Amino acid sequence: MNLRLSIAPHIRSGETTSRLMLNVIIALVPCAIAGIYNFGVNALVVLAVSMVTAVAAEYLFQVIARRPVRVGDLSALVTGLILGLNLPPTAPWWMAMVGSAFAIIIVKELFGGIGSNFMNPALTARAVLLASWPVFMTTFVNPTYWAEGVDAVTTATPLATGGVAPLDLLLGRIPGSIGEVSKIMILVGLAYLLITRTISWRIPVIMVATTGLLSWAFGSDPLAAVLSGGLLFGAVFMATDYTTSPMTAKGQAVYAVGCGLIVAVIRAFGNYPEGVTYGILVMNVATPLIDKFIRNRVYGHRKEEKAHA
Amino acid sequence: MPKLTFRGGVHPLHSEHEGKLPTRNKPVRDFAPEQVSILMGMHLGAPSKPCVQKGDHVKMGQLIGEPVGGLGVAVHASVSGEVVAVEPINYMTAAPQMCVTIKNDFKDEWVELKPLGDVETCDPTQVVPAIKAAGICGMGGAAFPTHVKLTIREGAYCDTIILNGAECETYLTADYRLMLEDSTRIVDGLRAVMRALDVKKGVIAIEDNKPEAIEAMEKAAQGRAGVQVVTLKTKYPQGGEKQLIQAVTGREVPVKKLPLDAHVIVLNVGTAHAIADAVIEGKPLVQRITTVTGCVVNPDNLRTRVGTPLQEAINACGGYKEEPGKIICGGGMTGNCAPNDTIPTTKATNGIVVYNEKEAKSVEEGPCIRCGRCVESCPMGLNPYQIKHFCDMDRLDEAQKLDVMDCVVCGSCSYICPAQRSLTASFKVAKEKIAAAAKRGKA
Repeated sequence: MNLRLSIAPHIRSGETTSRLMLNVIIALVPCAIAGIYNFGVNALVVLAVSMVTAVAAEYLFQVIARRPVRVGDLSALVTGLILGLNLPPTAPWWMAMVGSAFAIIIVKELFGGIGSNFMNPALTARAVLLASWPVFMTTFVNPTYWAEGVDAVTTATPLATGGVAPLDLLLGRIPGSIGEVSKIMILVGLAYLLITRTISWRIPVIMVATTGLLSWAFGSDPLAAVLSGGLLFGAVFMATDYTTSPMTAKGQAVYAVGCGLIVAVIRAFGNYPEGVTYGILVMNVATPLIDKFIRNRVYGHRKEEKAHA
Repeated sequence: MPKLTFRGGVHPLHSEHEGKLPTRNKPVRDFAPEQVSILMGMHLGAPSKPCVQKGDHVKMGQLIGEPVGGLGVAVHASVSGEVVAVEPINYMTAAPQMCVTIKNDFKDEWVELKPLGDVETCDPTQVVPAIKAAGICGMGGAAFPTHVKLTIREGAYCDTIILNGAECETYLTADYRLMLEDSTRIVDGLRAVMRALDVKKGVIAIEDNKPEAIEAMEKAAQGRAGVQVVTLKTKYPQGGEKQLIQAVTGREVPVKKLPLDAHVIVLNVGTAHAIADAVIEGKPLVQRITTVTGCVVNPDNLRTRVGTPLQEAINACGGYKEEPGKIICGGGMTGNCAPNDTIPTTKATNGIVVYNEKEAKSVEEGPCIRCGRCVESCPMGLNPYQIKHFCDMDRLDEAQKLDVMDCVVCGSCSYICPAQRSLTASFKVAKEKIAAAAKRGKA
């Protein structure tokens, strides 16, 4: 008889990192399908290149750096997919490749790999692409499907022009990044993430509500503010990134308010139409501070005894 | 009445009724082994000193180990028969443990017992001495000497006695069966303690996944002065002492203090039952209910003799169903692994859980993804992910600053961690190291 000795607990929940990542991928599938359906084959190319590059970059880096190969946890695939969905449907394939490799190697692996990066890899890569190739990144087209055979025309985003019907915003009959246009698909993904308890409602709901309320206070239509641009996509899939968001419920609330606030302020007062990327990235950077100062009260400690922070 | 609960916690094996299905409807069955090996160090505190010799004939309930030191507990023979060995044996602990082995003559001859009588009319000042003489220690797992717990120091007071019938630990049904089958004795034990300490309020707390036990205890409590039954939400670790006090009284045990500092004493229902046996019949603690479950042919609840070899208890349940991969003394969340199946049970062995080789497989630890589940699950409000970081680097000073000493080692964080990190194990080791260092510093 060969009995194994280990320290309790002897039961695990069965939840694994790769299962959680798979949940995120499943939640993103409706957005990806809608994006490909709306924008055609180049959207598919962009998504595929982005995902393949992310996984390949992580694998190669880990082999070269002699670290344990962890592509099996699927987190690189999530990063690649999210980055792809964040790109315009007209983006050239090499841009997806550069962005994806940057996200994985520079933002994620060089900082220690999964769990150790301090900014969301996909978002950081998007910001870098935006700064490097602004024309490519801000050229959006009308969805080919809705245009019924008419060639796609280059157009500004609804945020830059204003005045789009809420129904079109909801259904995705608007120009925009591949994954962000169909709000219904994003909500389907959100429902899946909530049902599987992959994420809590806290960050997406508080972030979107904050942006909506503040946009209203700044004098614009709150519904349009919520439904336009990348707000919903960012709030559901990117602000909720485990690694770069706070650990406590209270901390997450503060973080989400911060994200929503920065988005609303950039949209209302900045000279750049979309603020979701920067709103989340700034709060990513603030996360360690939030975690330092916002902690749960330890059982049996009275408030004045909490000297350490 | 709203169901009582605490913050944090997890729901292990929730879809499988906490793993209790195989034994919850099995009535308790008596079992006596061929031979018992009674450890002298079953309780928290210094091991007792053997007071019998090889070749002696002992009766059931006869004193065989004298208590040593302030936290000492008396040890009694759990069978009648011949003492065949008084020597250290290998146990779960690093060092061998002194042990008295008795060959059972199956006569179950008791020593002369000195009962105090009815719990409502006996001399209340004699209750705690009777508990001490009966060698009772906490039967929920920690094995803290009960007479010490019931000795109220100068300046402190207790206004509530809570009987812990939560049995939140997975697989175990020992307390559940006891509540169903011997509910009056449990209330008797509670009343004896209430009278001894002059406490007016006694609360029996049970999780809502045991409605039959709640019903049985409510019936038994009827007409008993100051005794009430409350329902707790089923959530692990509801049966943890601190969480139970929080749920039942809304109070918290102050940091580094005892439940008594929250004016509460918590006893396991099994302990209350043993107290009643000691008061009413004068019987020392030599038997207890142990749930034998998992990879055995007939999972069952056995009334075992203290010192029963695990193997004999398992054989009494039809033996192993498959090649065992792990044997746990206790439940799935907090139990300890047995190094082999010849070691004996103790006064605190509430369960023997056998895993097959597949279930016993170890999990590989991955990197923390900062998902926050450990923080959310911690019933003490700690940041397990952060403490683990410092424990891994052996920075115990930092771990201490993050209140690792407040960890109750319930296992919730390890259970919930998607990266399979051994959080609880690290904290247990860190706490032991810090406590050892503090002891050395004092000495």
